[in-house]
Amino acid sequence: MTRDRTPRPPAEAVLALLLLLAAVPVSAHQQTGQAAGFLTGLKHPVSGLDHVLAMISVGLWGAQLGAPALWLLPVVFPMVMAFGGFLGLLGVPLPGTEIGIAISAILLGLVVAFEARPPLWVAAALVGFFGVFHGYAHGTELPAGENALLYSVGFVIATGCLHLTGIAIGLIHRWPVGRIALRTAGAVVALAGVSFLWGAVS
Amino acid sequence: MTRRPLSLLGAVAALTLLPTPAHAHLVTTGLGPLYDGISHLFLSFEDLLPVLALALLAGLNGPKAGRLALFIAPAAWLLGGLAGFASGSPLLPGTVTAASFLVLGGLTAADWRLPSSGVSALAAALGLLHGWLNGASIAEAGREALGLVGIVGAAFVLVALLAAFVVWLRPPWTRIAVRVAGSWIAAIGLLLLGWGLRTPP
Amino acid sequence: MRRTLGVVLTAALSVVLARASYAHEVRPGFLELRETSPDTYSVLWKHPAGGEVQISIAPVFPEGCSFRTPDRQQMTPGAVIVRGTLRCEGGIGGKTITIAGLEATITDVLIRLHNADGRLESHLVRPTAPSVTLGGTTTTGQRVLAYLQLGVQHILLGVDHLLFVLGLLLIVQDRWMLLKTITSFTVAHSITLAVATLGYASAPLPPLNAAIALSILFLGPEIVRVWRGETSFTIRHPWVVAFAFGLLHGFGFASGLTNMGLPPAEIPLALLLFNVGVEIGQLFFVLLILALERAFRVLEIQWPRAIELFPGYAVGSLGAYWTIQRTLMLVGGLR
Repeated sequence: MTRDRTPRPPAEAVLALLLLLAAVPVSAHQQTGQAAGFLTGLKHPVSGLDHVLAMISVGLWGAQLGAPALWLLPVVFPMVMAFGGFLGLLGVPLPGTEIGIAISAILLGLVVAFEARPPLWVAAALVGFFGVFHGYAHGTELPAGENALLYSVGFVIATGCLHLTGIAIGLIHRWPVGRIALRTAGAVVALAGVSFLWGAVS
Repeated sequence: MTRRPLSLLGAVAALTLLPTPAHAHLVTTGLGPLYDGISHLFLSFEDLLPVLALALLAGLNGPKAGRLALFIAPAAWLLGGLAGFASGSPLLPGTVTAASFLVLGGLTAADWRLPSSGVSALAAALGLLHGWLNGASIAEAGREALGLVGIVGAAFVLVALLAAFVVWLRPPWTRIAVRVAGSWIAAIGLLLLGWGLRTPP
Repeated sequence: MRRTLGVVLTAALSVVLARASYAHEVRPGFLELRETSPDTYSVLWKHPAGGEVQISIAPVFPEGCSFRTPDRQQMTPGAVIVRGTLRCEGGIGGKTITIAGLEATITDVLIRLHNADGRLESHLVRPTAPSVTLGGTTTTGQRVLAYLQLGVQHILLGVDHLLFVLGLLLIVQDRWMLLKTITSFTVAHSITLAVATLGYASAPLPPLNAAIALSILFLGPEIVRVWRGETSFTIRHPWVVAFAFGLLHGFGFASGLTNMGLPPAEIPLALLLFNVGVEIGQLFFVLLILALERAFRVLEIQWPRAIELFPGYAVGSLGAYWTIQRTLMLVGGLR
């Protein structure tokens, strides 16, 4: 038995899991009726432009700020957003949701455009505050007859992936051209936010 | 075997033999109760995600925590399952599983350092709770308790592979990825709790 | 070095042991309907028989269908074959066929309908959904999936095959040897699977099952030799043993296909995909065992001696148990 060396990557584990996943659909037809909830949840966050832009901006900003915000935001954000959804499900009134989402797009766009560097807790609070609005507005729109758990799983995964997409795009921050591109993107998001706000108010 | 197996007389009898629709939370693979149990764990997110969270959490806490979770959770799952099977009804709303999502996912997201007793207690609680619910729904659906062995075996394999994988991870960013996964599970749990507590409009 | 591998498998094996009590080979049934003239169908019904477990299933035809000729029954080793002529007013399309008793088994039934206009329909009916509504053609994709599924299922339920592979894993000393051994097992059983399915050779089921059990028993002492640090031909060249016994196991896999009495034109497709399905299942099992072994090492698990030895003893004693049981069945069958 050799314990002195560091174990190498468990490639078998990955392969075995892949095979397992490939085998699952074969026996999964019993559950297809419920799988609709998963797809709905997955599609929902991606379908609204306001939501998509705000989520990606959070990722972009995180990438601009660097560690520790870079990793703190993706860990905290899903839970804050789920908290918003939780409030929505309990029927707690939250006035001005649409306006809040539009303002969140404007503000997040602006901080990216200006590469603002507030203290970490201010950044977390700002992102968290808007996360609640997004969760409130989108976490609860489950079509009748679909599985709530699968909807939630899809919803969280899709939001998290948007967020990660933002971070991945934000990695261009290391090049000077990339910085300018990011700031331009922030300005575009802020402008889009203004138009959302216009739509929400009028 | 009868002399005339194709007799139409069988029609009525056959229709009454058709299986009643399977219980909502149980999976039928047609491969027997053992494989039903194995696929149950992989297809039922209310059991799968907390198991994943436990494995991630134990993995973050090192090999010893991984070993404890690996042996305590399946053992407790089996015990809870047999108790639930014997009782025949869950007595608990399904929403209680949200607690497993929140606690295990939240601790993983926070990268909480746990003492051995903490890991053991969490593993035992997870196993007893989910095992109890599984056992009760297997009994309610009138199916074989052998399905539990499938669920427990699958949970054992899953915890072993995933916890070892997390222990093996070295680069710092991979720890963050594990914590993000934990926060997703906690977020799902929070939404699940919301659905459970929701008052119909 | 491979001893750790032996350590690993207690959990997997206790599952195997739990199953062993009712392990039996998957033997699908086959129902063929061929439209000979409008609304008239010649019926062929094959259902497995003579295995370790009696399977009582029978098709139930829709209302408006009746037999024109009395059905003729014929016993062959491993299967009961029933033929007859069925008349259905208005055709059988859109009607439902149920396989009665299927839900109490773990057997599948393949239903094929040849319409007079050349349309071919085929359905795999399973215990979870023992009836099917006919009408419409089955796409090649659906048939491909059905055969693939049969193959995966056959290996996952074939505890004896898995136990043999496990025994090989316990004997093999390094990665290169592992690759050679598993490849030669695969090649060997693919050869006999093809030979048997194409009808060039066949092996009667009861002696075959006894021989497969014997191959598992054979590995038991070899595993003990590995523990003691001794060597033998098998330990030095496990791939030779894997190849030789692989030929035997291939005949066993073939029983999953030949009993269905597939039409000749369908055999190449079915054979290929069934084999691929078997390999997927086997590869999954091997990778799972290796991954578990690695996981146990990463988690630094110290197994008690008894558990460390358990997998080897399980291979040996289950092999012995099946050898005795199947030999007794063989002797009983000869009388």
